[in-house]
Amino acid sequence: MSIDVTRQVSLNIAALESEFNAITNNLANVSTAGYKRFVSSFAETLARQQSLLGDNDISSANLQVGIDFSQGLSMIETGRSLDVALQGKGFFVIETAEGPLYTRNGMFRANQNGQITDSLGRIVSGQAGPVTIPADIALSQVNIAADGSVKAGDTTLGQLRVVSFGDNENKLIPAGDNCFRAPNDLAVLAEENAAIRQGYLESSNVKMIDELVDMIMVSRLYQANMKFITARKDAGESLMSLAMG
Amino acid sequence: MLRAFSTSATGMAAQQNMVDVIANNLANINTNGFKRSQIDFQDLLYLKLRESGTEVVAGLTAPSGLEIGSGVRVASTVKVFTTGELQNTSRPLDIAIAGEGFLQVSMPDGSTKYTRDGALQINGEGNLVTTTGFQLEPAISIPTDAMSIDIGKDGSVNVMDGSGNISVVGTLQLARFPNPAGLSSEGDNLLAETAASGTVITGTPGENGFGSIQAGFLEKSNVQMVTELVNLITAQRAYEINSRAIRAGDDMLRTANEIVR
Repeated sequence: MSIDVTRQVSLNIAALESEFNAITNNLANVSTAGYKRFVSSFAETLARQQSLLGDNDISSANLQVGIDFSQGLSMIETGRSLDVALQGKGFFVIETAEGPLYTRNGMFRANQNGQITDSLGRIVSGQAGPVTIPADIALSQVNIAADGSVKAGDTTLGQLRVVSFGDNENKLIPAGDNCFRAPNDLAVLAEENAAIRQGYLESSNVKMIDELVDMIMVSRLYQANMKFITARKDAGESLMSLAMG
Repeated sequence: MLRAFSTSATGMAAQQNMVDVIANNLANINTNGFKRSQIDFQDLLYLKLRESGTEVVAGLTAPSGLEIGSGVRVASTVKVFTTGELQNTSRPLDIAIAGEGFLQVSMPDGSTKYTRDGALQINGEGNLVTTTGFQLEPAISIPTDAMSIDIGKDGSVNVMDGSGNISVVGTLQLARFPNPAGLSSEGDNLLAETAASGTVITGTPGENGFGSIQAGFLEKSNVQMVTELVNLITAQRAYEINSRAIRAGDDMLRTANEIVR
């Protein structure tokens, strides 16, 4: 019995550590355009379990671990013609040698051949191949409409591809560089309801205050659980010294 | 736990870079033709700590896998080439480019650099030069008997001599790049071509997507003071909160240490 409790406490500690790491990652990425925060309600669930929130109804606590794909907190106006923000669900598609990646960071640029790329120079996928801006058209003349169609005056240059994953968004795997990878069996759907806004960037959805509150709760719970181990060790020691005389 | 320290440290370093960029934007708020920079942050690689479906606490299984990021980095800074405010100076040799394009400047070493600073001067040999004294390309020389100079929207430089005859002594050419964000900043308001910027395209002002020339105006920087200050406050707060995370992590480690005290 008591071994079980100690085991659970050490599991708690490990889980709190990774939740703390996730919070620090959210905080580090508070200014990263298109970043989606990592949520874990482990600490909250644990606090309920250990009656720290004055409510020990565990069934009401729903353990959630994953990425919160909600819209970023604000649209930041930049005025750059190749900065685009997505309003609503969906992702831009980045072409890489290892297959497509999905991102909501729309700080794009044109490469030396006029193709629209992300900031690492990887091609941004269009409905029909990469969108290319011809050399005789200036970047400031490029208009990107809400449906992603890229135009210069009356000439259509292409259309940015926007996809979504329906209710399976939570199966996406973060791949770094603001991108997500989709498992092979995940259905990629064309997204038609997302509105693209040119000249804006989507901010991250990290709320500094919420993360700070979570961080305090996690560190307090961590300390409480550590204290428990200390207490057990002390109790064990006095029992031993009693037995040994 | 040590992971959290390095993650927060990347967050602090990123915000520090942000402050550096903002400081440079603000310092150049009165620099003619200056283009503000904007910073692109990217999250770092993720470490898979747990497959989905594993037990987190006795009786509780994780509905999805646990992947912890390792922080943030600056992917790049991008110059934002929106046109700055045009300021009327009434000086005939001050020119602003309304729209896209750069003036071409020939450097003493024979290379060509690009600028949007149009405060032109005439040097001792009668050539049109930038404020720093570098010659424009193609070179335009102003005759010594010129009484007045007028630069047209199409870049043509008209000169009136003492007897009232007007003649065209040259035409300014503008340059453009497929990816202006790829140009490298060389100081002195000059930019240089790189592999990333693509090959230069030259043309006449007002044609093929080039902006037209506005004589008697200077293009101010496109830095908005209020926006930069707001960004500065945000960066400072984010820096603070990342450092607070390091302190919280330190407190947690101390409790762990106390077990073996």
